Amino acid sequence: MRWTGKIRFLFLAPAVIWVLAFTVFPLGYSLYLAFYKIEQKVEVKREKQPMLDAAGQPVLDDAGQPRTKNVVIKEQVNTATFIGLDNFKRMLTDTQVHEAVRVTLTFVLIAVPLELALGFLLAVLFNQHIFGRPILRAIMILPIFATPLAVGYTFFTIFYEVGGPLAWTGIPFLSNPTWALMSVIIVDVWQWTPFCFLVFLAALQGVPDELYEAARVDGANAWDMLKEVMLPLLIPTIVIVLLLRMAEALKLFDIPFALTGGGPGVATQPFSMLAFRTGLRFFDLGYASAMSYAFLAVIMIVITLFFRRLRANYG
Amino acid sequence: MADRAPGSRNGWGEVTASLIAVTVALMFAFPIYWAFSQSLRNPIDTYTVAGLGVPWINFTPTLNNWIDQLGTPETVRALYNSTIVSVSAALLALALGTPAAYAIARFRFERWKNRDITVWFLSQRILPPVATVIPFYLTMRYLGLLDTKFALVLINATFVLPYVVVILRQTFLDLPVEIEEAALIDGAGHFGAFWRVALPLAAPSMAAAGLIIFALTWNEFLFAVAIGSSDAIMVPVHIAGAIDTRGVQFWFMGVRAMTAIIPPLIIALIAQRYIVRGLTLGAVRG
Repeated sequence: MRWTGKIRFLFLAPAVIWVLAFTVFPLGYSLYLAFYKIEQKVEVKREKQPMLDAAGQPVLDDAGQPRTKNVVIKEQVNTATFIGLDNFKRMLTDTQVHEAVRVTLTFVLIAVPLELALGFLLAVLFNQHIFGRPILRAIMILPIFATPLAVGYTFFTIFYEVGGPLAWTGIPFLSNPTWALMSVIIVDVWQWTPFCFLVFLAALQGVPDELYEAARVDGANAWDMLKEVMLPLLIPTIVIVLLLRMAEALKLFDIPFALTGGGPGVATQPFSMLAFRTGLRFFDLGYASAMSYAFLAVIMIVITLFFRRLRANYG
Repeated sequence: MADRAPGSRNGWGEVTASLIAVTVALMFAFPIYWAFSQSLRNPIDTYTVAGLGVPWINFTPTLNNWIDQLGTPETVRALYNSTIVSVSAALLALALGTPAAYAIARFRFERWKNRDITVWFLSQRILPPVATVIPFYLTMRYLGLLDTKFALVLINATFVLPYVVVILRQTFLDLPVEIEEAALIDGAGHFGAFWRVALPLAAPSMAAAGLIIFALTWNEFLFAVAIGSSDAIMVPVHIAGAIDTRGVQFWFMGVRAMTAIIPPLIIALIAQRYIVRGLTLGAVRG
């Protein structure tokens, strides 16, 4: 049963217009920018201007001519030149872009599976009879909501190689390029494993008791139970969590910003950070827009997969 | 929470599982504890504290960092800005998103089906924010709104809107439609049925959604650092400022990290029941 009155558009319109204004319009604008080379230059000009006295009258020199002074005028000039696909071509040969892609993909391909696997194991563990489960579960929720930037800086102090709490390991957590990326992954795993855990636990607790009972009657051991009962039932949830985490992980920005600043060198600079810096630190706006569009194209693939999977849930 | 463990019920299995669970939970709590421990140390104790940095055992705690930082105008401003922006964005998103959620839950849309509309709202959430940050920055610069709380409210309301739509859509679907139909028969009209019947029943869910999206805005960094540098400085941007030319001031960092983390953590604990559904955008019912 669903109503069809015209008033439905009135309910829906404000939110739709809002999203069009603040998401779709910016996206259109940035597509336009992607085809331009935008330069912000400060032009310095010198001009001779008549000198004025306090009353606003021109000051005359000995010969009765108005005296002049040299004035330096600085003007910020924005120029936009149409360059077609050059911004996109430039990406193909830009080693910074290649490196950022490598960093982002390495991060996603290691962190996300790790979070899912750990989250699943923890969910199975917490699904047992354990003491103080509500309290332990509440503790596990905390990382999800901790401000990512604060988390990044906190781990910066934890990974600090001189006098930090892990200094005794002798691991160059932040100074070695490979380890620095691993450190970013560790922080992300710390923050998002609890999310996977929580969702999987919710799904496991939705598994009817009878299924476990039936399996037990059939003489299944713990391993069979995991493989034959829990895993198959959790597959839909696992797919959703996987796609959600992938979409989020591709956007990686806050943690490396705080933890490594993208360094050493550009060893932990993900794509978002490169696009952000290119656009809003070096003001190469056209190129940065092209980057974000290329990025968008990749994310669209994940989104499409995600929503094909999800559309059924919103029938 | 019913006990429906597949494993053994015998004592040793339970004890082992519990011990592992406690260890894991402590590991996940450690970084937050460490930030807190840092915030209580004198600068001289920063690099020399042994072991797990337990106050009174490994060092003499001090509240000086807290007093110093909370007495700094910039810290106060960042906390004030973050509060104002997060509350405003949450209220705005609720105001825009709740009627939309109601429309999707209760009415039938023909050309764009209901599920298409829901998915369209959801896709806003999956979009990489870095794709919109540049044009948004340029637009705000053009309008003279850089470094204003207003600009941050606008963009954050946009980001959290999908959460409101998805969470409340499910809430309205779960409400019995009969009460609203009775109101319609009494001549209340659709708006009356929404305002006087459905909305009060959805209030707890709206509160939970409001808390979750408050926390999301509070934690947002990319737009905060692009838009607000001084007048509209937000807490995460302020944390980034604890690094200066003398290096990282760990003791202040600890305080700033804690002030940032505490409000969303409290929210997480209050809104526990809604987190799974909220953060999976309604895809998994917790």
